[in-house]
Amino acid sequence: MKIVVCIKQVPAKDAPLAMAEGGAWIKETDIGFEMNEPDAYALEEALRLKEKHGGEVIAVSMGPERSKQAIKEALAKGADRGIHVADERFYTLDPLGAARSIAAAIRREPGVDLILTGLQSDDQGFGQTGVLLAELLGLPHATIIMQIDVADGRMKLKRELEAGWFQWVELPLPALLSIQSGINKPRYATLKGIMAAKKKEIVSVVRAELGVDEPATQHIERIYVPHKSKKTEMLTGSPKEVAAKLVEKLRREARVL
Amino acid sequence: MTVAREQLEADVLIVGAGPAGLACALHLANLIKTHNASGAKPELSAENIYVLEKGREVGAHQLSGAIMDPRGLADLVPDFEKTAPLDTPVTDDAAFFFTEKSAWRFPITPPPFKNRGNYVVSLSKLTKWLGGLVEASGVNLFTQFAGASLIFEGPGIAGVITDDKGMDKNGQPKDNFTAGYELRAKITVLAEGARGSLTKQLVSRLKLDNLNPQVYSIGVKELWEVQPGRVQPGFVAHTLGWPVPFEMYGGGWIYGMQNNRVSLGLVVGLEYHDSLFDPHEAFQKFKTHPFVRKMLEGGKLVRYGAKAIPAGGWYAMPRTFFDGGLIIGDSASFLDSQKLKGIHMAIKSGMLAAETILEALVKGDAAAGTLAAFPRKVEQSFIKKQLWSVRNFHQGFQHGMLAGLFNAGLQQVSGGRGLVDPIRVHAGHLALRQLNGRKPPAERFKGDGKLTFDRLTDVYHSGTRHDDDQPCHLHVLDMNICVDRCVREFGNPCQYYCPAAVYEMTEERGERKLKINFANCVHCKTCDIMDPYQIVDWVPPEGGGGPNYEGM
Repeated sequence: MKIVVCIKQVPAKDAPLAMAEGGAWIKETDIGFEMNEPDAYALEEALRLKEKHGGEVIAVSMGPERSKQAIKEALAKGADRGIHVADERFYTLDPLGAARSIAAAIRREPGVDLILTGLQSDDQGFGQTGVLLAELLGLPHATIIMQIDVADGRMKLKRELEAGWFQWVELPLPALLSIQSGINKPRYATLKGIMAAKKKEIVSVVRAELGVDEPATQHIERIYVPHKSKKTEMLTGSPKEVAAKLVEKLRREARVL
Repeated sequence: MTVAREQLEADVLIVGAGPAGLACALHLANLIKTHNASGAKPELSAENIYVLEKGREVGAHQLSGAIMDPRGLADLVPDFEKTAPLDTPVTDDAAFFFTEKSAWRFPITPPPFKNRGNYVVSLSKLTKWLGGLVEASGVNLFTQFAGASLIFEGPGIAGVITDDKGMDKNGQPKDNFTAGYELRAKITVLAEGARGSLTKQLVSRLKLDNLNPQVYSIGVKELWEVQPGRVQPGFVAHTLGWPVPFEMYGGGWIYGMQNNRVSLGLVVGLEYHDSLFDPHEAFQKFKTHPFVRKMLEGGKLVRYGAKAIPAGGWYAMPRTFFDGGLIIGDSASFLDSQKLKGIHMAIKSGMLAAETILEALVKGDAAAGTLAAFPRKVEQSFIKKQLWSVRNFHQGFQHGMLAGLFNAGLQQVSGGRGLVDPIRVHAGHLALRQLNGRKPPAERFKGDGKLTFDRLTDVYHSGTRHDDDQPCHLHVLDMNICVDRCVREFGNPCQYYCPAAVYEMTEERGERKLKINFANCVHCKTCDIMDPYQIVDWVPPEGGGGPNYEGM
């Protein structure tokens, strides 16, 4: 199987974020970046499929030069090669713009059987790029995947629904799947893997040269730190009084009773 | 659990990607290039140099003030001024004496506080940059790998075992368990920083201790973004006095950086008497001094960190060479305890180690006799000169600030000799005095949330992260002592000296218990150093865990 995994590099979870001039994005200097955690599950799933069915895993990432680090990490864990779509102003893209660019890069790869993405990104969290990508490539897709069984050119897939419900669906190959976080336990990079990764190929393509510069359909006006609006009120009195007060509040203020 | 370990072999294995370890790797790679170009035999390769770093990336665990004396870096990377991320040259240096309400500026900045010609840097950024050069030189640099234990062989060592990954909190393998490697090397270089966990094992097993045991200070630091114009970039202030009690060694720093950033912190000698002393709280109080408050008001905390500093100097330097290896940088006490500067010496010691290693590789002999060239090189370098002149400095403070300043004055005019030479000291934890009826504080310091913070808020700002589901990396060898003797005798000082709120005495159904919140640990090593019974053993957690000192 020829499997493509889409990996985004996002600000580290503990990065001290500060707004950039203009307030439409964060200052990217002085913060660390890491592989988007949901994508790590997709990568692990891809590596397991390769181990079972053979083939190769190609890690694709888009972003400034630094995002190559996410590809290197994937290579160290066992991906075979990488494609880096270079774009210094990546953060200004909307999900459709991102999907178009990645689609253009993947189209250059003949014979892709399966594309895996994480569920969403830890930074913007649109959760759309994967499904848009499937649409643009004319592939069937399924989301929130918990299990993948491949046999005879078809896949049996377990999807997670709400409230503990699951759904089994069948899809032909090629296809695109977005992987539910927590589906597996991602492996660690090994010393040998890290050394081997140095010799693996990362092809860089400049996004501007992919011919996908349609104007964005959305843009971020402003990002801001959420205002604190929660208020905690302590009810006092005997358990009976407190219960009565609570019922009163739920009825009159919260209006849930 | 016995596990099968994969074996790898390197020529040189360096544990720790700080200034010392990276300088050693980079210089050795450069030397190898020249060696190969000259056609000399045997042909060597930089690819056979491995560097292990426990942080999630290079620089993540690097914490310092930092003012850098450029001497070391200038030797290592002669054109460093063009490419290194030097924040700003020092433009104004001042020393102050603080009382609670006022600040008195020394009319002449005392020589140890003079910093013209030095740079204010983010050590984390500088190290990250250095890491890039090392990787480009062909060296194999592995982040998120810790040296878990040493491979002792014959009279020396033959490498390290790296950390096991994917173990759950009960020590059972998880799905993704990956056993640590048996990493064998002709020469192993310990560059772990202050109180390295492998260095500790080694020094005790091979009895490498010097005249004095190593003693330490703890530095607690915050990085702030302040209102424009409050602190000029390049302004450097050191303070003595309040809030550090007079019988203790300590002082504060305030460094102006670019983009309205200010580095400030407090250093306290880890040989204080009061078992209830809380260095984090003292630092928070420091910020409420009118002089400091004025600078910070309206500003924002960016980052927090804490780390031990080796203060023992020349007489506490362990033997730095042994069969199969060397010790460099902070692990080897290469730090001027008077100026509290060690980056330049760490770099220089790494370079001198690299020169020694090349000779050993060419000779094909890594026995102690060959590696003994290293301390001889140190003797001939600026390291010896600088450390010798302050060889008694920190020890002079064991009876408090006044005696210390008096001794320091005498040493200044006598080339470091002073009244007694060498001044002998005991390990710092022995200075802790028993409670004798003193009561622990009813409440812990909370902070106002704007200028001052509690420890958990600060830990959050250290970017510290550990997988919760792993064995606790703070081994308390006998928990009974905590609830039985320590509570009575010292009032469980771990609750106070730990700047990351790791140790917590709890009561469950009337039973006292020590709770260890190891995920908060910022890897400062203070517990390993300061525990009065020496029953805390700090071992590295799963690689990649720990603080993220980006920008610090």
